[in-house]
Order: sequence, then C-alpha cells, then structure tokens
Amino acid sequence: MSAETKVLETLVLAEFATPEALVDATRQMREKGYEGMDTYSPYPLHGGSEALGLPPSRVPFIALCAGLTGTATAIAFMAYMNGYDYPLNVGGRPLFSLPAYVPITFELTVLLAAFGIFFGVLGLARLPQPYHPAYEHEAFRSATTHGYWLSVPQFATLQADAIMDQLKSLGATQVTVVTGEKE
Amino acid sequence: MAETAIHHPPGVDPLEPRMLVPPHHDDASLNETLLDHVWAKPGKGWFLLFGIALVGLGMFLVAVTLTLARGIGVWGNNQPNGWAFDIVNFVWWVGIGHAGTLISAILLLFQQKWRTSINRFAEAMTIFAVICAGQFPLLHTGRPWFAFWLLPYPSTLGAWPQFRSPLDWDVFAISTYFTVSLLFWYIGLIPDLAALRDSSKGKLQRILYGLFSLGWRGSGRHWHNYKIGYLLLAGLSTPLVLSVHTIVSFDFATGLIPGWHATIFPPYFVAGAVFSGFAMVITLIVPARKYLKLRDVITDRHLENMNKVILATGLIVSYGYMMEHFIAWYSGNEYEIWTFYVNRARGPYAGVYWLMIACNVITPNIFWFKKCRTSIPIMWVASIVVNIGMWCERFIIIVTSLTQDFLPSSWDLYSPTWVDWCLYIGTLGLFSTLFLLFLKFVPAVAISEVKELQLELKHAAHHAAHGAETGAAGTLTHGAH
Repeated sequence: MSAETKVLETLVLAEFATPEALVDATRQMREKGYEGMDTYSPYPLHGGSEALGLPPSRVPFIALCAGLTGTATAIAFMAYMNGYDYPLNVGGRPLFSLPAYVPITFELTVLLAAFGIFFGVLGLARLPQPYHPAYEHEAFRSATTHGYWLSVPQFATLQADAIMDQLKSLGATQVTVVTGEKE
Repeated sequence: MAETAIHHPPGVDPLEPRMLVPPHHDDASLNETLLDHVWAKPGKGWFLLFGIALVGLGMFLVAVTLTLARGIGVWGNNQPNGWAFDIVNFVWWVGIGHAGTLISAILLLFQQKWRTSINRFAEAMTIFAVICAGQFPLLHTGRPWFAFWLLPYPSTLGAWPQFRSPLDWDVFAISTYFTVSLLFWYIGLIPDLAALRDSSKGKLQRILYGLFSLGWRGSGRHWHNYKIGYLLLAGLSTPLVLSVHTIVSFDFATGLIPGWHATIFPPYFVAGAVFSGFAMVITLIVPARKYLKLRDVITDRHLENMNKVILATGLIVSYGYMMEHFIAWYSGNEYEIWTFYVNRARGPYAGVYWLMIACNVITPNIFWFKKCRTSIPIMWVASIVVNIGMWCERFIIIVTSLTQDFLPSSWDLYSPTWVDWCLYIGTLGLFSTLFLLFLKFVPAVAISEVKELQLELKHAAHHAAHGAETGAAGTLTHGAH
C-alpha cells in the first residue's frame, strides 16, 4: 500500500441473532487465532469480555491514582493557604486543623476520582470518535438498538472470503465486508 | 435441584423472585416503548405543562432581576433572621436531589434490579434540583458575580477562603455533587444517545444525537471499561450523597444557636433528604409514566418499593425529631428547652411546626398498609404532602431558631416578601422547565440497562421453567446476576 494520509481498514462484519450466539462465535473465532476482533451490542454482553480475551480494565487504577491526587492536593492546598500563606487565628484554634479539613479533602478526592473514571473510560475507548469504518454498512446501525455484531479485521494472509465463510458456519445471519478509514 | 429450593408460593417471601419487566418484551419492542416518546411530537398536555413551567421560569427571572438590581433588601431577611427563605429553599432542593443519587448509586451497588427503570429519571431530577438549590446561596451572597471569591484561586487580594468554615465546605460539597452527578448521568446516557442517533430519521437529529453520543457504537471493548467505570462512579456517589447533606447540616450543627447545635443533624438531615427525594420521584413519576406510557417498565411494584423507602426514611426522620426533643430536655439547657417546647410547639410559627409533624411523622405511616402503598392517588397525594412537610421542617429549623435565640431583646419575627415567594415558586418553574425538556429530548428510562435486565429475566425464566413448576415465567431473583 502506498504511503497515503488515509489508511484504509477492512473489516468483516457479521450479525448474529442472539447475544449468546455472538459470544459463542467470538470465543470460537478467538480460539481459531483471530485477533483484534470486537463485538457490538446494545448492552454489555454476559461473558463478552472473556470471549474477546480482554485484560482487566485499567479504569480502577486510574480512579485510584486520580482520587489519591485529590486527597493530597486538598490537604496540601488547605494547609498552605490557611496555615502558612494567610493564617487566620480564630479563637486560638490550630492553623493546621485536620478535622476541619476532612470535608473538603473528601470532596476533592471524590471529584478527581470521578473525573479520572469519566475521562478514563472515554480515553480507553478512544471517544469521542466521529468516524468508524463499521458505519460504512447501513445495517450496522442496529448495533446500538437490537443487533449483535462481530467485527473481524482482515488479515494480510487471509482473504475476507475465508473469514466470511468461517462466520457463516458459526451461525451469522448476515456477513459483509466494509472498508473505511482507520483511526 | 431447584425443587428443594423453592417451597413457598411466589410473593410471600421478600427474597422470592419478582416480576420486574413484563416478559413479552424483546429488544425491538422495548425500543419502541422507550424511544418512541422522544420521536413522537409532544402532545397538548406537554405544551400546557411547558407553558405553566415557563410562567414559573418568568417569575424566577423577575425575582432574580429585582434582587440583583435592588439588593437582597427586597427579601424578608432581617436581623436576627439573616438566613430565611433562601437557605430553607436551598436545603430543601438539595434534599430533593438526593433520591436521584441514592436510587442510581446505592441501589446499583446493592444490585437492586428494580432501580433500572427509574434511575435515569431520578438522576435527571437530582441534577435539576441541585441547579435550583445552587441559585439560592449564590443570590444570597448579594453580589453573585463575585461568587468566585469562594473558590481558592490566586487572587490579587492576597487572601484565601477560610477552609475551617462550614460555608466553604458547602461550596466544595455542592459543586462536587453537581459535577459528579452530571458525569454519572451523562455516562449512563451515552449508550442511549447512540441508540437515538442510530434510530433517528432526520439528519439534524442524527447529527445532534451523534454529537452527544461521542461515537459510541456498543463495542465490547468499550463496554468492558464502561461497566467497571459506571460501577465505580456509583461507588463514589454513595458516600458523596451522604457527605453532601451531612456537610449541609454542618452549616447548622457547628453553630451555637439553640435548635441547631445537635449531633443528630448529619444522619437526620440525610434521612430527611432521602425522604423528600423519594417523595419527589413519586410526585413526578406517577404522571410521567402515564403520559409516556411507561407502565410496562415502571411497574406498580417500583412505586410500592419507593413507598417502602419513604416509610422507612419517614420513621428515621420521626426518630430524629424525638431525639432532638429528648436531648433538649435531657441537657437541661434552658435555651434548648425554650426552643423545642415553647418556641417551636407553641410559638409564633407553631402552625408550621404542627403541619410539619402532620406531614412528616403521621403521613408516611399510611404506607404500612399495602392498600395505600399500591394506590396511585393516595401515594401521589402523600408524596406531595411529604414534600410540603420537609419544606416546613427546613423552615422550622432555620427560622424558629433564629427568631428567638438567647437574648429576648434581640428577638424579631420573620415574614417572607413577595419576592421570596416568587423566587421559590420560580425555582419550581425552572425545575419543571428543565424536566419537561428532559422528558422530550432524552429517553426517560435507561434503555440499555432495561434490555440487559430483560435478557436476565429471560434466562431466569428459562432456568425456572427447567428447574421447578412453581417458578413463574419472567422472574428474577433480587440480586441475581
């Protein structure tokens, strides 16, 4: 392929009648050695992650790091601002007063953890993403409402036809090949 | 085998499998039920309600304009009643918001499947209620355009906020609560917005819903991170919701005014918030599910469960009242005794006090009876009564304590002005406007979650059919996964 700015990706898309059929087919395809597959369904599939062979999500780790950053930031900024930079003596109470710092520390921990989760989920999913090759196929729109789809990237050594035959033998109700830009 | 596990007829044991979503629905028919109201043209009823809401919003704008132009002197606040309607409404609205987070977060963590049909609704309510709540402290500053002074930013004044003050804790609590609720709501919406995008007929709709759904396509790799992220956000929201009203209660509890200085305040405020919040959900959901034809997903069973929560939290609130009175008496402190036994019960605001007792202590007890729990008219009226009662509670706590504190020479009565009323009714208009727009443009029920639940129901029915004759079709054990 010539060095163009647009990289084309060819996907084999297959629709299955039920979520169970999709999970089964995914697992069998993976056992046959196909990689880089993805499932599409209106809701999370039971056993879907296992069928795709995904590693544990990194979201909890991101959330933990973000949350701890919030904790540290809150305590540090309150101690600095009220205890050192602009000390206010109220009735002789201690300037570094940990009990009084608890509410804001808690709130900031939660806030940053929530941001970590939100942007973590979006970031790991590479969203927002206005274009995806699968949308070259109009029927694929059912993936968010009532369809169960599987995408298999085309391999250099294997023609799309071979993959399509495999998917049909696994019970796909319709199989198609789409070509579109890659991320 | 299951024959040995199930002995009792369904519905007797609270842990028995329950009908949640009628089994005749499949994904396509659920789409129709749940998406169609977004695509359908709004009816006359919607326009009528929207018109009323806009009138309310107009009142709000008038009151705000007047407050900004003339200063908060147009309110009834005076010495010693520095806090009055503004803070009453603030606490009331924040409390209403709490049911949303509670339904979405705590019930998700407890794997209470019945939450799926109502969480979207309740979360929207949370967000709009917090928006309404936020108006009051902001306006109460007198110069809201300087509200950013409350935030720690490196200002040329060289001053920082006082972080040992509960009022500054409030700033952080409310803004965090709002932000996290918004993120939680939005992340839950993304799959449904994508469903709207993909089922849209018009180009504009496809572009707009496409914009907000961020390119979601239901990818298994996305769901993998999404599921855990959603659960974690729920886990975070649970202590958050408890902390917010706890911190709001600190505004009072850290003060020395008789009637405020009580250690029961944090849990008692949280229970009151859940109490009024669930009541508000009932108030809104009863007409909405009729109008949107959502009876199949928001069943009578959902309403009954919510009424049970109202009963439980109502009893906690009643216990809070008892404890306040007991501690006032037990402390032997004459100011506390005066506040609870003379000023509140027999003083100038005794009417509001007894109304509060009637609404909050007596009313929820009707839900001991199944007939009341399951009767739509009764629960709807009761839910409105509870909301009035909770508003009266905030009024009693704030106003009676401030009007008569320690020194009789500084006592003064409080009465709201028409601007106060306009502002309060105006936030109801603001809330209704936002809520009606929400009902029109966004699926009111979390579609992807209901579909997932539906699949589980089918599996459960399948197992039940193979396992035992007593297992009713389309049932699901609470907490089954």
